[in-house]
Amino acid sequence: MRLLRDLGRRKLRSGLTITGIAIGIMALVVFGSMANKMNTLISGGSTYYKDKLVVTIGSQISGNTQPLSIATVAQINKVDGVAIAVPGVEMLISDSTGMSMGVTPMITGILPGADKGLETFKMDVAQGRYLEITDLGSPVVVMGSDIAAKYHATIGGTVNLRGTDFKVVGILQPTLTAPDQEAIVPITEAQKLYVETLPPLVRSKLEPSEVATSITVYPKAGVLPETLKQRIDASVPGYTVMTGKDFDAELGAIGSVFSAVLFGIALLSLAVGGLSTVNTMAMSVAERTREIGIKRAIGASRWRIRREIVAESAAIGLISGLLGLAIGAALTYLFNDMGRSSGNVLFLLTPQTAFTAIGFSTGLGALAGFVPAFGASRLDPVTALRYE
Amino acid sequence: MAILEGRNLRKTYRLSRRNTVEALKGVEISIESGEMVAIMGPSGSGKSTLMHILGLLHAPDPNHGPAPELYLAGENVATLSDNARTKIRARRMGFVFQDFNLVPTLTALENVLLACDYAGIRGKQAKQAGLDALALVGLAERADHKPAELSGGEQQRVAIARALVNKPEIILADEPTGNLDSDRSAEVLALFRQFNREHGQTIVLVTHDSEVGEACDRVIRMRDGRIRDYGQRTATAATPVMAIPAVAATA
Ligand SMILES: Nc1ncnc2c1ncn2[C@@H]1O[C@H](COP(=O)(O)OP(=O)(O)OP(=O)(O)O)[C@@H](O)[C@H]1O
Ligand SMILES: [Mg+2]
Repeated sequence: MRLLRDLGRRKLRSGLTITGIAIGIMALVVFGSMANKMNTLISGGSTYYKDKLVVTIGSQISGNTQPLSIATVAQINKVDGVAIAVPGVEMLISDSTGMSMGVTPMITGILPGADKGLETFKMDVAQGRYLEITDLGSPVVVMGSDIAAKYHATIGGTVNLRGTDFKVVGILQPTLTAPDQEAIVPITEAQKLYVETLPPLVRSKLEPSEVATSITVYPKAGVLPETLKQRIDASVPGYTVMTGKDFDAELGAIGSVFSAVLFGIALLSLAVGGLSTVNTMAMSVAERTREIGIKRAIGASRWRIRREIVAESAAIGLISGLLGLAIGAALTYLFNDMGRSSGNVLFLLTPQTAFTAIGFSTGLGALAGFVPAFGASRLDPVTALRYE
Repeated sequence: MAILEGRNLRKTYRLSRRNTVEALKGVEISIESGEMVAIMGPSGSGKSTLMHILGLLHAPDPNHGPAPELYLAGENVATLSDNARTKIRARRMGFVFQDFNLVPTLTALENVLLACDYAGIRGKQAKQAGLDALALVGLAERADHKPAELSGGEQQRVAIARALVNKPEIILADEPTGNLDSDRSAEVLALFRQFNREHGQTIVLVTHDSEVGEACDRVIRMRDGRIRDYGQRTATAATPVMAIPAVAATA
């Protein structure tokens, strides 16, 4: 506590230094949480797409898909190496979500059980049940965890999706990736909602039960997705076929941009925080020259003097780190809360990020203390005593 | 027995390449165990410099001519490393300076306990010794006061308590009464005398004040980096010197 008393001697200066580092740490926490979220999203997607192919017209990742005919499913099923092809219908949960950075809330129409157990991505039900084949034709929905919270969904209650009331039969466990923002309905219901989103001219030519937006293709055991992609391209041309590798290639780049930004911030706070701590400690060492002289004269070893200063400097770092973490955590919580409704759950503050931030700032503080500490420990006690 | 014995002690301060100050020009000195000695002399004569060397704060210059010798209770300490000198200062010596003796952020007791800490004594034992030392200098009830809340004389007494707390063999004081009026300085001097009498501590006082000098067993006079007069031991010096018992016991 002596240490805090020493810091308290120059409250303004210590305060400013601490604030400076805390801002850097806060930025580190916020961007770190953002990178965490991105990475879990991407790795969730990467796991999901790893063992399958998705056939669309247009890009599934950017969400610009066009309707395709359900007849295509039969064509793809005939391709050698396909275990099963399953149609799906995806659309935005509402047209007014606007720009978003995270995962956009979606309505996903599925054919329950059609994957014949080949789907390896497990979604666990927190309450109620998952969709079953008998749900086809009924307006029922299983809600992802984030979206359930947003719609205040309760089992047995109803939610309104694109003007239609759906009965909530299940709520999913958080997956920390795309399904958290999905309302999963039987494909029959999704088809009806989907055609309504199309321009009247297109809509009039389509029978709702004939449309899909994507076809998920499960390869037979031992068939490489890349090989299958070539075969589908050859026998059913005109579609976009995405493999897990394609997904990784497209989204891996986003992940590395985030890591680069994070690294940049860390470097910046290292420079700014480190230098201002060196400055603060050098000034307090200079102010305390005579005190150090007294301590040395009555028997404090050089090592003791160094230790005191490094500890004080590390304390500056630790306090800054805790402060920065507190502000950063509050901000990410607030942003997530504000963004939940639009699907912008952008931050994931993990214990690792928290500990890294604290460790980083404490280490930075200690490191910054070494230079002034070394200077102080080299002071000649007599000269220090005579210092004015 | 001589507790401190020095020969060929020189110190030259090098201000620049051409400008050097010969503060000590070859001093020979011997201080008996249990003696209370004053070092006097005009300003700039080298009193503080000599005290710093005797207190192992500075090493004497390695001379071109005869090598410097410095013995502490018979042990050669002239060429010890900084670490070894620091340890001796912590365990076997006590220091009092003219001003700025105390760490301003620490209470009187904490200031005293610094000396215990550096000597490797901590915890309850240290705290008791610290409180006893403060009681000895009459400041028991001021233990939790910061230096800024104490008068100059009280601060000086805290410094003395700190110098005494480890019951060191030697106390070195550089103008301990320099900033005090004559009443306060008499008090401080009486304290030194008390410890010297009761516990046989060797006390070396640098002073400008001839009254302080007269109260000591012997006055060593310096001039121009040399000792001019080793002084005569007065009758009071005949007091038998005892082994050093626990200071704490007297509280
Ligand atoms: N660190 C130093 N650097 C340069 N010169 C010094 C230093 N310390 C002392 N001196 C010089 O050495 C000489 C002796 O100084 P010292 O402090 O020992 O004198 P003193 O007898 O204690 O004087 P005073 O009574 O004024 O305290 C003086 O001329 C002084 O200017
Ligand atoms: Mg002097």
